[in-house]
Amino acid sequence: MTTADRQTVDALVGLVHTLVDDFDVIEFLDELCARCVSLLDVTATGVLLVDHRGTLGLVAASDEQTRTLELLQLQEDEGPCLDCYHTGSPVLSDDLERESVRWPRFAAAARAGGFAAVHALPMRLRDQILGGLNLFSARSGSLSPDTLRLAQLLADVASIGIVHERNLRHPEVVVEQLQSTMNNRVTFEQAKGVLAEHLDITVVDASTLLRRHASRTRTPLSDIAVQVVDGSIAPATIMPTPDPDA
Amino acid sequence: MDIDRVREAWSAVRTLAEHDNATMSARHACMACERAVSADGVGLSLSRGSTLSEPVHATGVAADVEELQFSIGEGPCLDALAERAPVLVTDLADGENGRRWPAFAPAAVRYGVRSAFSFPLLMGAIRVGVLDLYRLRPQPLTKDEVADVLVYADVAMLLAMRSAQSAQTERHDIVGTALDERRAEVHQASGMVSVQLGITVDNALARLRAYAYASDLRLIDVARDVVARRLRFAPDEMGDTSSTSGDPDKEQT
Repeated sequence: MTTADRQTVDALVGLVHTLVDDFDVIEFLDELCARCVSLLDVTATGVLLVDHRGTLGLVAASDEQTRTLELLQLQEDEGPCLDCYHTGSPVLSDDLERESVRWPRFAAAARAGGFAAVHALPMRLRDQILGGLNLFSARSGSLSPDTLRLAQLLADVASIGIVHERNLRHPEVVVEQLQSTMNNRVTFEQAKGVLAEHLDITVVDASTLLRRHASRTRTPLSDIAVQVVDGSIAPATIMPTPDPDA
Repeated sequence: MDIDRVREAWSAVRTLAEHDNATMSARHACMACERAVSADGVGLSLSRGSTLSEPVHATGVAADVEELQFSIGEGPCLDALAERAPVLVTDLADGENGRRWPAFAPAAVRYGVRSAFSFPLLMGAIRVGVLDLYRLRPQPLTKDEVADVLVYADVAMLLAMRSAQSAQTERHDIVGTALDERRAEVHQASGMVSVQLGITVDNALARLRAYAYASDLRLIDVARDVVARRLRFAPDEMGDTSSTSGDPDKEQT
């Protein structure tokens, strides 16, 4: 394992340990931001989350410098993180010199703070965008594809941390979550049987069809399963479309 | 599932039934659950989809509050069914809950009830009913108590479904039977039989259980035969059901 790899593994191990041990969400996100700086070789990072009013707010940053905080906070009105939140996709600018049309106030403030490039990664949980992980660089240029993949992974870890916090505050929810997971499994087994009988296939093949349908329609598998069992989906819908070239 | 917790729950239910000189029923599961979490009332109702259909058991203050939910059509019980998830209310007198259930919450509080915990009884996609627990003083359930209630809810559901079909003498290894019913093949077979007979999946499970009992077979073995298509169920001309199979040596019921 290279030194860089080991650093990455250490960072992920550290973050995951925090999730399962004593857990405080703000500390966790602060640590995540700090690790992002070294792992991704950027200058500053921050996490913005959407609040109950639908506006982005600062929850954590890699440093307390004014320039960093300012850049994060003014994104309530405009900026890469706001765009990222709206689109649900990464928003990248490798040269803020060119962004005075896209983000007039943000680009000016960023340049004044000595930053030249910015990357915003969405923090997504299923179809909900919780906010964004922001990466600011003093150097212009984009991050490599590998670095961006790692950055998205860290954004995903941040999302897990936030949902986790909600679970810990209501520990009975964890128990209930397990029960609900088990019941979802029962539903899935029922759906396999129903589909297997309708289509005259094995339950194993039924399982494959159900999973593929869920993936193709971007619907949770347990929703599809309930619909198959209660009859609100016709079994024929789950059949794969025949290959016209076959 | 925590096996000790399951065994203890069944043991508590059996003890109550023995006191009554009766076979175990959903009513005993309710009573045992109420004791296990020191609740001040418990109610169990069956449901059809997302609506309550039939009260099975409710004593004392629970009887009044369950009746409220039936007649008003609002309350944690109905939300638990709709959401297919427990609804745990520490204090019905709190403003937020008053807004959530504007008719039910104040009425329940007038009956003296402050905490309400509703657990839907689910068998996969089927909503069998809901188990409600009440407290006269606002106090949330602990994590352990929630785990206990989930086990008792399962027991209550099994017993409620059995008595809905027919009175059967219980097998000696009731826990083993209950565990058998958790096997994937049993639910797959229920799905298949539901299509074969044109009935709901929970009724299909009941048919499988009845067939296993009548044939002195284990439910899991019957299920495997169904999944492997060695055993099929079909309605006969009279509208009754009988089982057929590809194996001429298998007995017809």
